[in-house]
Order: sequence, then C-alpha cells, then structure tokens
Amino acid sequence: MRRGLALPIIAVLGFAFLYAPIISLVVFSFNESRLVTVWTGFSLQWYAALFQDSQIVSAAILSLQIAATSATIATVLGTLAGLALTRLGRFRGKTALTGMVSAPLVMPEVITGLSLLLLFVAMEATFGWPSGRGFTTIVLAHTTFCMAYVTVVVRSRLIDMDRSLDEAAMDLGATPLRVFFDITLPIISPALISGWLLAFTLSLDDLVIASFVSGPGSSTLPMVIFSKIRLGVSPDVNALATIIIVVVAIGVAGATWFGMRKPKNR
Amino acid sequence: MKKPQIAADTRPWRDVDAKPFVRIANVTKTFGDVYAVDDVSLDIYKGELFCLLGGSGSGKSTLLRMLAGFETITSGTIEIDGQDMANVPPYERPVNMMFQSYALFPHMSVENNIAYGLKREGLPKGEIADRVAELLKLTRLENFKARKPHQLSGGQRQRVALARALAKRPKLLLLDEPLGALDKKLREDTQYELVKIQETLGVTFVVVTHDQEEAMSLATRIGVMTDGKIAQIGEPQEIYEFPNSRFVAGFVGSVNMFEGTVTEDEDDHIRIASQEAGCDIYVGHGVDCAPEQILWYAVRPEKMVLSRERPEGDANITHGFVQDVAYLGDMSVFRILLDSGKRVHVTQTNSSRYDPDAISWDEKVYISWASDAGAVLTS
Amino acid sequence: MSTGVVQPRPGRIWGFIANALRRMGLSGRTAIILAPTLWLVIFFLIPLIVVFKIALSAFAMGRPPYLPMFEWGADESLTITLHFSNFLFLVRDSLYANAYINSVRIAAISTIIALVIAYPMAWFIARSEEKHRNLLLMLVILPFWTSFLLRVYAWMGFLGRNGIINNTLMGLGIIDEPLVMLQTEGAVFVGIVYTYLPFMVLPLYTALVKLDQSLIEASADLGARPFVTFLTVILPLSLPGIIAGSMLVFIPAIGEFVIPSLLGGADTLMIGRVLWDEFFANRDWPVASAVAIVMLIILIIPIMLLSIAQNAVVEKNQ
Repeated sequence: MRRGLALPIIAVLGFAFLYAPIISLVVFSFNESRLVTVWTGFSLQWYAALFQDSQIVSAAILSLQIAATSATIATVLGTLAGLALTRLGRFRGKTALTGMVSAPLVMPEVITGLSLLLLFVAMEATFGWPSGRGFTTIVLAHTTFCMAYVTVVVRSRLIDMDRSLDEAAMDLGATPLRVFFDITLPIISPALISGWLLAFTLSLDDLVIASFVSGPGSSTLPMVIFSKIRLGVSPDVNALATIIIVVVAIGVAGATWFGMRKPKNR
Repeated sequence: MKKPQIAADTRPWRDVDAKPFVRIANVTKTFGDVYAVDDVSLDIYKGELFCLLGGSGSGKSTLLRMLAGFETITSGTIEIDGQDMANVPPYERPVNMMFQSYALFPHMSVENNIAYGLKREGLPKGEIADRVAELLKLTRLENFKARKPHQLSGGQRQRVALARALAKRPKLLLLDEPLGALDKKLREDTQYELVKIQETLGVTFVVVTHDQEEAMSLATRIGVMTDGKIAQIGEPQEIYEFPNSRFVAGFVGSVNMFEGTVTEDEDDHIRIASQEAGCDIYVGHGVDCAPEQILWYAVRPEKMVLSRERPEGDANITHGFVQDVAYLGDMSVFRILLDSGKRVHVTQTNSSRYDPDAISWDEKVYISWASDAGAVLTS
Repeated sequence: MSTGVVQPRPGRIWGFIANALRRMGLSGRTAIILAPTLWLVIFFLIPLIVVFKIALSAFAMGRPPYLPMFEWGADESLTITLHFSNFLFLVRDSLYANAYINSVRIAAISTIIALVIAYPMAWFIARSEEKHRNLLLMLVILPFWTSFLLRVYAWMGFLGRNGIINNTLMGLGIIDEPLVMLQTEGAVFVGIVYTYLPFMVLPLYTALVKLDQSLIEASADLGARPFVTFLTVILPLSLPGIIAGSMLVFIPAIGEFVIPSLLGGADTLMIGRVLWDEFFANRDWPVASAVAIVMLIILIIPIMLLSIAQNAVVEKNQ
C-alpha cells in the first residue's frame, strides 16, 4: 500500500492529544503564579506547599496503605481464581465464577460503590462488623474490583503457559503443590507483578468507590484532590500530579527495561 | 503366511511364555461422548522400542498420556512391571516422558533441568552431580550445562529433554513425537542416536509418532492406531509387507489396491477376478475366504514390473497408458491409467545413469507382478 | 540399571502443608476454588441483591434511610412490603429519563469520536516496525497509569476561561473574547475520549496486528484499491476489535461521574452524576438503588456485545 503522510500525521496528533495535557500539568507545577495557565517564572513553592499540607500528606499515606493492602489480597485471590479457571478442569460453579470474576470489570463504579456501601451497612446492622467505615471497608471494596483485573492478567498468562511444563515436573516426581511453587509460580511471576501493579494503581486512583465506602476521617488522596479541584484549578495539585507522573514514568520505564532484559518465558 | 525367520530369543513378543513389561488391557478413554481410546489391549516387553503410529486424533497421544498418568482411564487396566497403575499419580510412576514441546523449564539452566527429577527423588548432592555429568556426556551437552533453554538450538533442546527424562533411570520412557520439531537432516542423525542410547541403557521406549518412516526405522514393533483402536501390531516389515487391512496398507507406504471377487479358493492358491485391475489375480497361497467373497488385493508400487511386451502368463498382468513419470533420482514413479479408469503407481529403480530406451509418457505398457507380491485383505 | 526403582519423596514442608489442609477437610483443589468464589459471592453478588432489595423499599428519614422489607408480625406472620414507587418515580420525573437518554447519547458520540481517532493510531502502531511497536504501545498505555482524576484536571487547565487554549488564541490575536469551553457538553466529550482512548486503541491494535500483511497484498493483487481493501478485508477482520474497544469505552462512559461533574456544566445531566447526587445530596438510598438497577438493565446489551466480541477473539486464537 502507498505509504502516505496522512497516517503518521494522525498518529502524531493522537499522541499529542494524549500527552499535551500531562505536559502542561508538569510545566505549570513549576510556575510562580497562582494561575496555573499563565507562566510568570520558575518556582518550587507549590511543592513546598504540598508537603506542608497535612491533609494531603495523610490522605496520601492512607491511600498508599490501602492500595498496597488491597493489591496484595487481590493478587492472591486473583491468582487463585486464575488457577481455578484454567488448571482445575470442570467443576460445579465454574460458569458462575467466570461471570462473577469478570463482571466487576464492566460494572459502573457508582453501582459498585453504592452496592458495597449498602452491604456494609446491612452487615454492620446484622453482625456488627465492619463497625463504621474507613480503612477496612475501602480495602474490601478495592480488593473486590482489583481482583477482577488481576484474574484477567494471571489467567491469560496461565493460558499461554505450556501445560506440559507442569506435567513434566509432575512426571519427574514433583507433587502438585511442589509443581506450583517450582514451576508455575516462577513462570507466571511477571504476570503477578504486573497484576499487583495494576491493582495498586487502580486502588490509588479510585475516587468513586472510595467516596461511597469511606467514613469520616478516612479521606483518600483522590477524595481530597477532588474536593480541591471541584472549586477550580490549584497549583499544588499540579505539583502532586507531577510527582505521580514522575514516579509512574520511572516505574514503567523500569518495568519495560526489566521486561526487555528478561528473556521471554514460554 | 510366510514370515522372515530370525532368532526368537531377541524377540520376546514371539515367545508365548514371555512376561510383558507393560500390559495394557481393554483400556478405554472417553472425553464426553468421544472415544479417544477404544478398548485397546497391548503388551510391551522389556527392552523394546515400541512405536505407536497414527494420524492426529487416532488416540496414540492419549494412550501415551495414560501411561504417564496425565489422563485417567475410563475403563480397563494398565500394569507396569506387574504393578497396577490405576491409583498411582504421575509423580509416583516409574515412568518418565519426553514431551513433544520438550517442556524444558525456561527459568532453569540445562543442568538444573536435568537434575530436577533427581532432586525430587531426594538423592544426595554428590550423586546428583555425578548422574547429571554422566547424562551431559551421553547427550554431548557438557559445554552447555549453564545455559538456559532459550539459548539452545532445537537439536540441543531435544537432547536436554531426553537427558532430563532419562535422569531418573525410569523403567519405561515415553517419547511424544521426539523428532517432530527437528528438521529433516537433523532428524535422521538423531534417529540413530536415539536407538543407540536406547540400546546402551536398555530402557524400554514407547514412542508416539505420526511419521511412518520414523516408526519403521526406530521401532522393534509398531502399533498402528486409528479412531482410538489398534489396527495392527507387528514388526516394521510385517506391517509393511503383511498389512491386515486396507487402512494399514494405505497408511504405511503407498499401495495399489484392487477390489475383486474370489473365483477359485484352493488350499495352495486362490484366484480373484478383478474388474478394477483389468485381469485375474493369482495368489500363490491359501487364504481364509469363501468363493464369491469380495476382497481387496494390495500390491506395493516397487513390487510391480513394467514392460512393453506382454509377459507370459494368464494372471497378474494388466496394461495401461503412462500418464506421468516423476523422476526422483534414485527411482522413478510412473502413474499409469488402466482401462478400468483405475490409476496405478509403479516405481522403478534407476539402476543405470542414462537409459535412452526408458519407458515414457503416453506409452502403452504392461504391468505384472509375482504371485506372492501383494497382500489379500478382507477388511 | 542399578538403583532403578524410583521412590518419590515429597519435600517435608510441602508434605506438611498438604497434610494440614487435608486435616482441615479441604483438598487443595476445593480451597483454590472456594476462596475467590466466596469472596465474590459476599462482596459482589450479595451487594447487588441488597441494591435490588433496597430499590424496592420505601424511603424513610433515619438510619438507615429506608423501611425494612420483611416484617415479622406479632402473630408470627411475615409481611413482605415491595415498593415499586421508586421505579414509578423514575418514570414520572422526566429528569431521570433525560439523564438516561443523555448518558447513552454522550457515551455513544464519545465512542464514535474515540474510534475515529484510535483506528488510525492502532493501524499505525500495528504497521510500524516490530521493534518500535512495544514502545508506541507503551506510550498509549502510559497515561492510563497516571491518575485518572489528574488527567481530567489537566483539561480544566486547558479549557478554562483563562485556560491555555484561550490564552494562546487571544495571545495570537485570533479571538478577542475567551471561548466558553469548560462546563459544556463538548468538554465532556473531550474528557471521555481522552480518558478512554487507550481502551479503544488496545483491542484495535490486537485485532490489526494479527492481520496478515499478505491478506492486504492478496486483495491488492486481485485488483482492489486501498479503500476497497479497507472496506472488504481490513474492516471485517478487525470487527471484534472494533466492538470490544467500543464497548470498553461505551460501558464506563455511561456511568461516568467524575468527567461530567468536573468538565460538564450544571445542565450536562448524566446518570452517574444523578445517582451520586441522589445518594450524597438527597440521601435517598431507595431511589439511588432504583437508578442503579435501571442503569444495569441498560448496560446488559453492551455487556453481552462485549463478551461476544471477546469470545470471537479467544476462539480465533485457539
């Protein structure tokens, strides 16, 4: 086919569309003025302001704790679900599990949030647990929707993995549990890592579900940001965004480098 | 039927008193309503190199996987060395397998791949090291022991897979298409190597393959499988020269098949009238059949002779037109159209370098064969 | 053969764990299935049932703000009260109908815009040299890993009255008065397309990268012009990708809350926002639940389409 210029131009415009807003966020975080859209001079004052804002700092710490906890539980549960769906043959309830594990992926956040809140209220009324809402309820909610994503990642890795690797280990005298730890786990570990990172990011990013299931005094970072930016743009949020972007860029670049260095395990 | 006579002591399957090493009795495996393996009975003797030959979906791989313990048996029994395998999980069977994909652990070095089974056995470190060194030497992999599987060539991977499967000194080694992933030249070399290793170690091999040439050159005996059933079991020569059915005759090598009706049924010969062949077929030995019975006569292309002049005799001579000649170097394949519309393949060895008088296209030729050249098939 | 007999000896730790599980009356297999299944039943299935139940309860002032559905009478009778009033309320008040229609419309238009932008991008990536593909794909996915909220926020800075676009245009003398871009429906389109673009590009890329170059060459060889090849070969073969990508944009866009509340105006009604307000501002849990149930019903068809498209892709790969 003719290699015209139209295609690269559209593609470049597409990438520009994706990155221009992010770049502007970063640039204006170093702006002196309170206005985040008019450049007046270089300054780091918004970073200083950010770290002095105890509300943001404590919300960030809470969010990181929640994200790490729910990503870890979600990775364990998602791995088990992935194993159940690919390695255990047929069992009663397999279709139900398949449906339930992928449904949170397409469930609107407002519904997930609302339904979990109603559940927690009902559970508290019936069993007295979880008492009140906060860290625990957010972790439970985040684990539920994150495990769906982990399952997708782990499951597709397990499907790709040559079944005869497990069989070969078993053939050489390894019991099923041993096979899992010697062979399956090392081979799917890149999927577990990316699943965990995905879950961590999703949890850290979630505003809607957390808003429903959090209680007083347990505002997550997105909730604090949302209440700030609802009123308009504010340069310390730019500073925060820049920090997040830099961390993510380093993380992704590192993961890519690590992934390229590591041979493909098939 | 006449069979080649060779000392019976090297061929335990000819000895009615010999005790089989692997006994597969009435084994059936179903997946849903599909019969993957259908009532198969088969005995394999110690030191044999037994080939299961069949097309895809013939059930040969399923049978192998049942021997390894990866598939449960729907009905029937499998005994290995006198022990019933029904409730023995794969990791407790005295059997090892070489996988078609090799299934080398990608995160382990060659050395650790080979040592894996020995470690599971709980052998002392020194003994494991000795055994691994021995196998590296046997498979000529000493220089590659620290490499990961993805740093090896196809042939090297194949040898690692073999070494790993042999490491535990299994009583029975199962090989699933062991040469399937290699290119043609490498395959031929590896074939002989495999036989040599098998003879050196005296391990019983069961090989699954779809390649009839591979089966013929490797095997002590071949079991031809189709539709989950064993069609025929026999030594390579027996399978080729004395097929028991049209399927086996056609599956192993190429063959010309003529349908006909029995006209004479004597103790020392039979005569078949075949419209397809365009002549009478005279068979120089007795056959278990009845007059008027419809049966088939299978004759291999290299057992037929071409001539311009009609040879002497009243049977086993037909004629046709040469439609096509394919020159293959060592021999030529003639495609000849008989009057009946039947197309026949005849091969002739090119024993001289240049024959100006060779039979060529569009010639009318006579085709003849000896009275013991073909096999009479009733199914 | 010397010590030819193979005696399996599972490692002590593994044997211990396996035995411990067995003693609890759990085989490993059952445990693996049970853990995620129980979790999902408790935290996914039951909550939906609770939503359904509360949608059929009556609103009441108090905590919780609804009346119980089951009541045990003094004479050991059970009274089940189902209030369909919440659903009737949704029908009667045109606000809800408008919000649903608006959500579907905005989601559909955004999906089409995203498809038009994403298709050339996906095609470009799929046809670029193999060593560049992963980098380009990473560039598409990268924004997804940064905060969604902050990416929407970035557009507030772009589109605002004193935003970058207005400042630039006025600085260049193209306009005298700032354009009103923020708090319009257009800003919502931009926000949705921007946020969900990677979800459109990825399935399209997956479909297009598998498309064999020789198919295009064969089509050209048989006399098809590039555009005809596109319509008759490329488009049909990438259809599962188109459907999957479209649904991955359309479904979350329907229930979107953040984008309309930050970028949209007061009149940009979307159902996610209505549910949020019903819950947080009016504290009417039964009506919020009813809104959620109707939203789920609307989403059934797109979700089915998505799963059909995904199954088609899976089958092709097998």
